[in-house]
Amino acid sequence: MLKATLRSFFAHKGRLALSALAVLLSVAFVTGSLIFSDTVTRTFDRLFASTAADVTVSPKEGVAAGEQSGSVPTLPVELAARVRELDGVAGAHIDAAVENVTVVDARRKPVGPTTGAPSIATNWYVSDRSPVELTSGHAPRGPGEALLDADTADKKHVGIGDTLTVLAAPGSFDVRVVGIATFTTTNPGAALVFLDTPTAQQKLLGDADAATSISVTAPPGVSDDTLKRTVAAGLGDRYELKTADEEAESAAAQLGGFLDVIKYVMLGFAGVAVLVGVFLIVNTFSMLIAQRTRELGLLRALGADRRQVRRSVLVEALLLGLVGSTLGLATGIALAFGLIELMSLAGMNLDATEMVIGPATPVSAYVVGVGVTVVAAYLPARRAARVSPMAALADAEVAGVGRPLTLRAVAGAVVGATGAAALAGCAASTDTSTAASLLGLGVVLTLLATVVAGPLLVRPVIRVLGGAFPALFGPVGRMSQRNALRNPRRTGATAAALMVGLALVAGLSVAGASMTKSFDQEIDRTLGADFLVQGGTFLPFPREVTERVRDAEGAGLVVRQRFAPLELALPDGAHVTSTAAAFDPRVDEVAKLEFAAGSTAAALAPEHIGMDREFAAEHGVRVGDVLPAEFPGERHARLTVGALTDRGGPVAPGADGGLVIGMATADAHLPGGQDSALFVNAADGTDAPALRAALDAALDPYPQVQVRDQADYKELVRGQIAVLLYLVYALLGLAIVIAVLGVVNTLALSVVERTRELGLLRAIGLGRRQLRRMIRLESVVIAVFGAVLGLGLGLVWGLATQRVLALEGMRALAIPWGTVIAVVLGSVLVGLAAALVPALRASRMNVLDAIAHE
Amino acid sequence: MWGAIALGALGGVARLDPEEAALSTPAATDGAGGGTGQVAARARGLTKAYGTGETAVRALDAVDVDIARGRFTAVMGPSGSGKSTLMHCLAGLDSVSAGQVWLGDTEITGLKDRELTRLRRDRVGFMFQSFNLLPTLTAAENITLPMDIAGRRPDKAWLERVIDTLGLRDRLTHRPAQLSGGQQQRVACARALASRPELIFADEPTGNLDSRAGLEVLGFLREAVDRLDQTVVMVTHDPSAAAHSDLVLFLGDGRIVDALREPTADRVLERMKRFDTLVPEAVAKPDGEG
Repeated sequence: MLKATLRSFFAHKGRLALSALAVLLSVAFVTGSLIFSDTVTRTFDRLFASTAADVTVSPKEGVAAGEQSGSVPTLPVELAARVRELDGVAGAHIDAAVENVTVVDARRKPVGPTTGAPSIATNWYVSDRSPVELTSGHAPRGPGEALLDADTADKKHVGIGDTLTVLAAPGSFDVRVVGIATFTTTNPGAALVFLDTPTAQQKLLGDADAATSISVTAPPGVSDDTLKRTVAAGLGDRYELKTADEEAESAAAQLGGFLDVIKYVMLGFAGVAVLVGVFLIVNTFSMLIAQRTRELGLLRALGADRRQVRRSVLVEALLLGLVGSTLGLATGIALAFGLIELMSLAGMNLDATEMVIGPATPVSAYVVGVGVTVVAAYLPARRAARVSPMAALADAEVAGVGRPLTLRAVAGAVVGATGAAALAGCAASTDTSTAASLLGLGVVLTLLATVVAGPLLVRPVIRVLGGAFPALFGPVGRMSQRNALRNPRRTGATAAALMVGLALVAGLSVAGASMTKSFDQEIDRTLGADFLVQGGTFLPFPREVTERVRDAEGAGLVVRQRFAPLELALPDGAHVTSTAAAFDPRVDEVAKLEFAAGSTAAALAPEHIGMDREFAAEHGVRVGDVLPAEFPGERHARLTVGALTDRGGPVAPGADGGLVIGMATADAHLPGGQDSALFVNAADGTDAPALRAALDAALDPYPQVQVRDQADYKELVRGQIAVLLYLVYALLGLAIVIAVLGVVNTLALSVVERTRELGLLRAIGLGRRQLRRMIRLESVVIAVFGAVLGLGLGLVWGLATQRVLALEGMRALAIPWGTVIAVVLGSVLVGLAAALVPALRASRMNVLDAIAHE
Repeated sequence: MWGAIALGALGGVARLDPEEAALSTPAATDGAGGGTGQVAARARGLTKAYGTGETAVRALDAVDVDIARGRFTAVMGPSGSGKSTLMHCLAGLDSVSAGQVWLGDTEITGLKDRELTRLRRDRVGFMFQSFNLLPTLTAAENITLPMDIAGRRPDKAWLERVIDTLGLRDRLTHRPAQLSGGQQQRVACARALASRPELIFADEPTGNLDSRAGLEVLGFLREAVDRLDQTVVMVTHDPSAAAHSDLVLFLGDGRIVDALREPTADRVLERMKRFDTLVPEAVAKPDGEG
């Protein structure tokens, strides 16, 4: 029996190859993402482990200052001396390291990375934990001297003797590069500038007596934990103490967020590949079995029992899974390699030769690959087992045609109705989390229903779709339409693969377009300023920028915006950590805040706060309540609720509660905060273009900030949503590739099955070109059917998703008709592409062989 | 009229009965060029070989044949005698190794695939043993398919006549699966007749039918010749089917070895017995046609 299975496996290798490709793609994405994240994690783990001090003393965080606020928590420098004097401490260095700097060269071009990795300015001291070593020049001595890391120096052609400008929070200053420091481990892509310690304290922190942390060294033979206890006993619990392991762990956790994004994107691709691949595999096996009905009948007649037949099909699937997984694993390694190279382009230096392939990688590769294949082949295998021995004697029937679709109709209707109800519930729900879970449920159920009921939709939909075919393409069109209708099960399953991908894309496109439109409207509604000055990555900028903007010719009102992280203790007992947006008092003249209660003045008054009406209602907050608040650095305040805003403002996107405070409140509780946006109006008598020119000129030395008007700002937001859409389109591409394989598969089988029919057509005078056209049209009908179903489903999903977004304040609905039309036209191309090979094979068929008697 | 039914190159003419020889005019006398208007299809030195060198098999060996217009010609012979190959070559379905074939005045040897396809579509009708109809099309659509493919309008009056003659009036909207085997062959026959081709080739048209349905189909082919003035060439191995024809050609070992005018089943059977003893190796040969 095994021999027969193997023979059959190799006999159908052509058809199985397409399925193997689907398995390969799924496995490749799974393994690629695992390898990539393992490699990145290890690279950073190594870096952190080798650079973390035995014990690091840092300010207690409480509420994290975050990079949004621009505030850098510090501790007093004399702490280092106290630590040094403790028994059981070998030494202590002070660190003055900040990431809120921009380094530019003499031409005002940024030297550091502009995306992702930070620019770090820090103090230089030699220790065995430094990630770099001085490779040329000398250490920085006094203000005006600096070291630059070798990678950045190479990339931006900076050499010893060149002058750089460091745009730091307290103020800009020039430094001369006096030496180059080279990374001893893999450079994660950050740009590093080293200053001597007093300069770093003075120029980066603005305080000669401050440090960002203290690195404590243990004497030989003393463990980090012992050292930590020693330091804790000496300093009390006012500071955060971390051993090297703990420090590395928390650094890795911070990095984790970024890695997770890449991981989820990759797993998303893997998921789509698996989902679409399953259809392809089910279809392939169904067709192989349909083709082999007589053969299976013969096996049964010769005494093979059902179990043996079923097992033989499953063993075939197992083989397919193994082959696909192995190839997928190899492809995944290549994919990870490519990703690592891509990251290097983006400024993250990873060493592809240090690729980590953990034991989990091959295990997941085979679990996914073999699992998916065997599960997908299970139904066809059961069907194979039901082939009666009589099938060996009967004329080969075309499988799937005769069996009634009643069960499918009932199951599809029930599941579909449930799914529709879930989506309706989602649309009606007022609670975001309920709506989101209903949305998820609805999406899964409606997808399932469409897949199950797909074959039932084949007839009505294709009748309509292909309705014009006879008129347009004559009898060839009529035959292709009828051929597509011939085996609804097969057409449905083939189109399902395309449908899934397109439904996802359509849904996400609607969501993306709605988000864009919502933001556009929001910007129109709320942004009243002539110009908005903002950091390129929305990060805060030095105060000099604010001063320069104020001093720019023609600048009238300038309203600052700052972000202040805080934790609020709410009346219902909840502690919410969020970020408040702080504004200067005249914000009403540059932006529109709508209030349900109170006013701008009440919200921005000292020691007051404004918040979103719904958030307030949820937590039982009323105007006049006094809420205990904690700002970074364990600064406590009691804020009075002055106003409730009506709609989640655009001011603090993503932050909970739509909190707004006055600039005075922020200054009092978050000293050293940096502005993150400036709303600028032209002074009387100055027109906007003139102001823009003045602002551009004033800000020329600060490449990290940009001047934007309303249109620019919209463009920026659009660009950010577009990144999401690009991912969607990449997913679409993948889904289409696999779906095309499915259509090719189906057509190839149809051509084989209809050999005699095609021969007859050729005999009675159908030309080769007409024959090719007939197959192409059939392929197009199937593809468009899948596209129509997918778009329909996706639009429904998109509408439901938009309802969820509306609950989050993104109320506008936009349907990207351009995308919809492009997808339909694209599906025509998909159909044409899929038909290429089958049509060619059909037209090359020997007429005589085709019509020969059995 | 009978003089026009020509048989040529009968390898050993000596094998013919005197009475058959009297009605068989050697094809050569017609001359190689130009048709006479009486001949629907013609072959000269038609040779079809499969394989090359030592293993080459001659399915047809320098056959000369004229198919008379307006007649019902049957081609008989044992398996491997080349009768299907002869039909395929005459119909432009298969290429020839040597010799020439004319359909009416058109020499079809040497035509390109596209021209052959057009020729089959416009000038030849086909009936096969089975799988004659496209399962997705109705009977009416199947009947007009060759003309539809060509983009030609069927001759309405003629089509009505064909449909009535074959008694298909009630079946036009049925799909093949809803028709009996005999009805299916009648539809195939109607399709072959519908475009009023110069020549209809029927390859074992009754092979898959029970005797009653078979008789019916043969009756229609006969009627097509007698009443609709068509030309039919039928390949068969059934003597009683051949008995419906005007002339039976016997093939053996790639050559035309005999001919029988106004056949009856008994005479055909008798002739075949004699024929078996004449060319035993042809019977033994397993290859050639399917």
